Amino acid sequence: MAPRAAITGITGQDGSYLTELLLEKGYDVHGLLRRTCDLSRSWISHLYRDPKLQERRLFVHYADLDDATTLRRTLLRIRPTELYHLAGQSHVGLSFEIPEATCQLTAMGTLRLLEILRDLPEPTRFFHASSSEIFGRPEVMPQNEMTPIAPVNPYGCAKAFATQIVRVYRESYRVYASNGILFNHESPRRGAGFVTRKICRAAAAIRLGLERELRLGDLSAQRDWGDARDYVRGMWHSLQHSAAEDFVFATGQTHSVQDVVEIAFAAMDLDWKACVKRDERLVRPAEPNRLIGDSAKARDLLGWKPQTDFRSLIVAMTESEHRSLAAPQPFQPQPLPWRIV
Amino acid sequence: MTRKALITGITGQDGSYLTEFLLAKGYEVHGLIRRASTFNTGRLDSIYSDPHSGQDRLTLHYGDLSDASVLARLMGAIQPDEVYNLAAQSHVRVSFDSPEYTTDITATGAVRLLEAIRETGIKTRFYQASSSEMFGQAQEVPQTERTPFHPRSPYGCAKVFAYWITVNYRESYGLHACNGILFNHESPRRGEEFVTRKITRAVAHILAGLQTKLNLGNLEAKRDWGYAREYVEAMWLMLQQEKPEDYVIATGETHSIREFLDTAFGHVGLDWTKHVEIDERYYRPAEVDLLVGDATKAKRQLGWEPKVKFTELVKLMVDSDLQLLKDCREGRTRVTS
Repeated sequence: MAPRAAITGITGQDGSYLTELLLEKGYDVHGLLRRTCDLSRSWISHLYRDPKLQERRLFVHYADLDDATTLRRTLLRIRPTELYHLAGQSHVGLSFEIPEATCQLTAMGTLRLLEILRDLPEPTRFFHASSSEIFGRPEVMPQNEMTPIAPVNPYGCAKAFATQIVRVYRESYRVYASNGILFNHESPRRGAGFVTRKICRAAAAIRLGLERELRLGDLSAQRDWGDARDYVRGMWHSLQHSAAEDFVFATGQTHSVQDVVEIAFAAMDLDWKACVKRDERLVRPAEPNRLIGDSAKARDLLGWKPQTDFRSLIVAMTESEHRSLAAPQPFQPQPLPWRIV
Repeated sequence: MTRKALITGITGQDGSYLTEFLLAKGYEVHGLIRRASTFNTGRLDSIYSDPHSGQDRLTLHYGDLSDASVLARLMGAIQPDEVYNLAAQSHVRVSFDSPEYTTDITATGAVRLLEAIRETGIKTRFYQASSSEMFGQAQEVPQTERTPFHPRSPYGCAKVFAYWITVNYRESYGLHACNGILFNHESPRRGEEFVTRKITRAVAHILAGLQTKLNLGNLEAKRDWGYAREYVEAMWLMLQQEKPEDYVIATGETHSIREFLDTAFGHVGLDWTKHVEIDERYYRPAEVDLLVGDATKAKRQLGWEPKVKFTELVKLMVDSDLQLLKDCREGRTRVTS
């Protein structure tokens, strides 16, 4: 029988790449969807459209993270061998606007899954997508699995809780639960509200004459940016390890927002200085910096290493935006099959 | 003008001591109480039975940390000068049994309260009751304001969340918000399901021949135990400082449950080994290490230091439970539902 993976957050950047990876590896993949989720506008619509996959190897289930009863019923039915928990209110800036909802979904949602994990009849390996935001403004550089957790925004606080509660359940109940502490990872499927995608999209749009300028906050902000496709491989490797542990996934190199701007605009043969305007309103309160990851443990124990360099990633993202803006695909609505079980 | 304070968790041990303390300072005190089918304001009896306590300046409001609308409405109506967030599902062992509820009240509840303050835009000072349980598998001994957290229970994780979100609102919005990292603090008002009170209450019952056995969990667990009545003054002192900061409040001494038993039973001439039985159901799934706090910063900046230490604390708790049982048997306590 094929191994079964369940994924929360399957429609997002990471969820969609992970789905592709797991299908390639022969898994049956079950996605947990929010009620408001529109599959046809998601990053797995191309997979779900495929008749060889739809409800044959790729299954979707409605189950909100704040609905413990449905989560339990759904997971008891799927009985996954691996559960990848990627869902969460994942935007740092937005977490200042909706802190309570961020806490409900990101912190409490993880706890609800762990509570169900304890009760599943067969052992399920659990992966939690943690974030470098848990480190806040760290005193040590680079950060590894031992670096103290000290978040500086509501998103980071919620992720810190989720990371620590995963450790508590691992130590208290001997469940197989791992944290992947993921540093920023980007791709053409990055959410449109995130700075890398915003920059790449703007460069393509300005090239095509669709827009005139790009407004940004702090250009000097530094991040350790990797390629999402490398990071979902790391997730899978984490759960193949003999014991549940925490792993940092990072490139170990930082670049500034300005570096992204320079590469993206150069890829479109544009002069960024003529197009980019600083906007004070976009500067985050309590901006974290100094985040740079040390993934030596993942490299040693899992044989993981990132394969895409920063420049190629940003160029690929910008070219992808240029292609989709130059020749927009017609939108194909895709009704979800309505199953009553 | 009369200063106003809002206290969540007013019906608890710390809430009742803090209420007495603030009323004595002339404050108008507002407390949030949960609706429950059982009577839950017993710890405020001493205030209501004493005409000189300032009881006319105490108002209780129904509400709950899970109800954001009530918090926002009360914050706007009361316009408190100081908010003390003492409410929580505060029992560590129970947090393993009911982790979602614990997190909703202890972690998300703190966000709801901070959001209510931000939303109403009032200039208030905020106290968050943080806990030594946040240190869990302690990274150094003794623990200070600089010691990294490593929580080992759902309660500890929830308190860590509330700690950081408090720091975050201070840094992001300029709120005068302080964390008091309080090590265990006990008193005759400690909940009867906590190990210290469970022991002192059993001593009184065993001495009176009403009980013979006492079931306990891990006797080797060590804690830094102080006197709750003194700890609430530290909370108030933090909010009187010009600059909001976080403080460890502790005695700096650590004692095991075994020593607690020696002192409590010894105080009335009993031998605990004849009565105590170990019940593994009271063990926590994961125990915390050596918790002992270094309150040097509180002493230096707040002028606060503990006066009642371990032996005196145990004895005053045993004496109180002896008196309580005596009053009860002689029909001299008020009947509470």
